[in-house]
Order: sequence, then structure tokens, then C-alpha cells
Amino acid sequence: MKGKYLEDLREILEEYEANKAEIDDIINDYAQLYDDAKANGKSDEEIYQILGKPDEVVDDLMDSLKFKRHKDKGNKIVALMPFISVITYMILGFVYNLWNPGWIVFLSIPMVAIIANTRFKNAIVALSPFLSVIAFLILGFEFQLWHPGWMVFLFIPMSAIILNTRLKDMFVAISPFVATIIFIVLGFYYDLWNPGWLVFLMIPMIGVLYKPNKLHVFLYELSFIVAIGFYLYMGYVYELWAYGGLGFLLPFGIGILLGDVKFELDAIEGPQKNKVIVMLLTIFFCIAAFLTLGFVLDGWIYAWQVFLLIPVVAILAFDKFRFTAIAPFVAVVLFFSIGYFFDMFHISWLAFMIIPIAAILENA
Amino acid sequence: MNTQFKKGILEMCILSIIHDHDMYGFEVIEKLSSEIDVNENTVYPILRRLTSQGLFDTYIEQTKIGAPRKYYKITELGKEKFNDYETEWTAFLKGVFKLLGGMRDER
Repeated sequence: MKGKYLEDLREILEEYEANKAEIDDIINDYAQLYDDAKANGKSDEEIYQILGKPDEVVDDLMDSLKFKRHKDKGNKIVALMPFISVITYMILGFVYNLWNPGWIVFLSIPMVAIIANTRFKNAIVALSPFLSVIAFLILGFEFQLWHPGWMVFLFIPMSAIILNTRLKDMFVAISPFVATIIFIVLGFYYDLWNPGWLVFLMIPMIGVLYKPNKLHVFLYELSFIVAIGFYLYMGYVYELWAYGGLGFLLPFGIGILLGDVKFELDAIEGPQKNKVIVMLLTIFFCIAAFLTLGFVLDGWIYAWQVFLLIPVVAILAFDKFRFTAIAPFVAVVLFFSIGYFFDMFHISWLAFMIIPIAAILENA
Repeated sequence: MNTQFKKGILEMCILSIIHDHDMYGFEVIEKLSSEIDVNENTVYPILRRLTSQGLFDTYIEQTKIGAPRKYYKITELGKEKFNDYETEWTAFLKGVFKLLGGMRDER
């Protein structure tokens, strides 16, 4: 635990390109703090609380750190990007008549700023809305794949999960997105909405793999396999899909027997409880809104935007409010909605400017 | 409470406890958190900043538990800074108490 903590701290300090001697000094100090806390009878979890998350520690240390000189070069490029973008845009427009989609070059202004000033992991997450928009527009304009091209936006939460979650939790956390992608592909391309929805069972099936009791894992996995087999058998052989669904009472019953399925939220306590309820309601609302807009109004092209509400609500519920954190999502919605509903993509890219503006105003 | 304001108070408290005798990092954290409600993980960055500003000197001393420890010792500059803080803070508190007392009298 101590080794991992110090390793994480060193990694972040190195990503910031802090001075080598200073990094060694800080690591030595934290090693001492850790040992002293341990000698005082603190547990690893308590020490983690006392010392703070490595990334927050580095944020707090920023004003006393010395950085290598070449970090300045990055800021020069950031400062030059607006000019480079305007020149590139003019050349694309006047010489090649590519005014549209030539405006995409302006997205390079916030993107370069993110690359130059953000740590690797956070940079990928912060860049994900831009990369998704670019991929979405290419799929839409070039291949008319607005739907299911919107699925590239799932890259935004997926990148955040992959880069910020421990390997152990990552597969569970990412499984809903993978299941959604498979479900949509099976549904639209092979008309397998049913039994395609069974892919969502991968979420609990992967989740139970991490239970410490191996017998419980076996019982759960077996019950899922039996239930799926029964469902498919009843459906394909007798056309009795609804009766086949009764098979899922088996894993549900095992969940009740083993005490994992409870009809209460008492297991979650304190202020976290309300937040978890808000998150669950948000997810249900988003899925309902997405399906309603898609099926009722045939709004698949724009309905995906409701899913951006999930990371926004998560940030608002679990983090300190900073507009900079939600600015990429607000910008994507403004950009796409103004562009799509008013056919003004050539102007709506300006919405992305709120990201560096928010960052400058909040960090100044 | 305003973060900058809180940081200022913490700086003053750290200067105050190391003013009396030299201390090592964890000792400062323990002492502070036993007296006031403080976010413990903000203490070391403040210690480091104050050291880089020349308000503390550091030296290493061998310990019984094995690894040597870094101790923080207040400098003359640190003492001056602490006196400034103390004067400002006393004047500020006087004003606050006067206002609170005045409001109580009005009621």
C-alpha cells in the first residue's frame, strides 16, 4: 500500500515534469509521513485519508514546485494556436473551398491547450468529447451513419472509466457501455433486439465474478446460464418468450437467498445515499428519454445527447462544483444542437470556446 | 469559509506551533488536527511552501523507528512573518468581537 501510494505520487509528479531532485525530496517526505502514521497505529486506509489522494496532493503542491523549462514551449504553442488555426482555415477555405468542414481546425485550439497543460490521463478524458465529435461528424457527413454513429460518444464515459478505475473494477464499470454497443449493433444490423438484450446480463455476470466466495460465484453464473438457456429454448422452440423470461427468477431467487438482493437502500448510508438515488434516477431518466426520443420522434441523431447528463450529474453530485469540469459536456450539447437543429455547424463550433474560457476564468 | 482565508489561518497556526519547538511533518499534522478541524492532507503542502519561502529551515535527525526524520525549524524570517500574522489576526478578531458584541447589545 505504501509502495503503491508513493509510486502513484511519483508518477503524477513526473507527468507534471517537476524537477527530479524535488520529486525525490517529496517522495522521501511522504515515505516518512507514511512510516510515522503507521507507527502511530493508523491503518493504510486512514493514512490514505490523512495524506490525501496523490493527484490532489500534487494539485496542492503546484505553487511550490519547480518545473523543467521545456514546459514553456507548450504554452507558446497554445498561444500561437489561434493564429495557426485562422491561417489554416483561410487556406482551406480560399484555396480548396473547404469552409465546411474546414472550421474543424478551430477545435485544435482547446485540444492543444488540453494536451499542453493536462496530465496524460486527464488529457485523454478531456479530449474525448472533441475526438468523439470529430469521429461522429465524419461518420455522419461522410457515411450518413448519424445512427448508430452516436455511439462514439460512449467513448467519453468509457475513457474516464478505463483511465481512472482500478483494473478490478474497470470491467464491471465498462460493461454497461460494451453491452449497449453490442445491443444496438445486434438490433439495427441483424434485427436481433430480442434476444439481443441478453447481452446486458454481462453486467451482473461480470459483477459477481469478483465476489470472494467462489461457491456463490459458481451458483450465480450457473443460474444465469440456465436462465438464458431456458429463455432461448422457450422462445425459439415454442415461441413462448414471455414464459421463458420466468427463468430469470432463478438468479434473482439466488440473489435473495445469498442476501445480495435487498429491497432497501439502507446499505448505503449518510449523504452518499441521496447521491446514489439521484444517480440511479438520472440513469433511468436518460435511458427512458433516449428510447422515447428515438422510437417516438425518430430522433436517434440527437437523442444520444441525453446520456451526457449522466457524467454531468455525477460530477455535480460527487465533486466540488467547477464549471470547467462540465464545460466539455455543455459545449458538446451546444455545438451539436445549434449545428443540427439550425444547420449552423459552421458557427456552432464556437461553443467549444467556453471550455478554455471557463478554465481561464476559474483558474485565474 | 473562504479557502484562501482558511489557508492563511492554517499557515499562521503552523508557524505558531513550530515557533515553540522544532517538529517533524506528521507531528505537525497530529498537533493541528487535534486542536482544530483541518483537512490533514493540506498540511504538508503548506509546510513545503513555507519552507520554500524561507520561513522554515529543515534538518535530518535519526529516529528509533529506523529511517531518519526531517525536522522543521522556524527561521528569523518565519518569526517576523508570524508576528505580522499575529498582529493582523488580533486586530481582525477584535473587530469581529466588537461587531458581534455590538449586535448582541442591539438585540
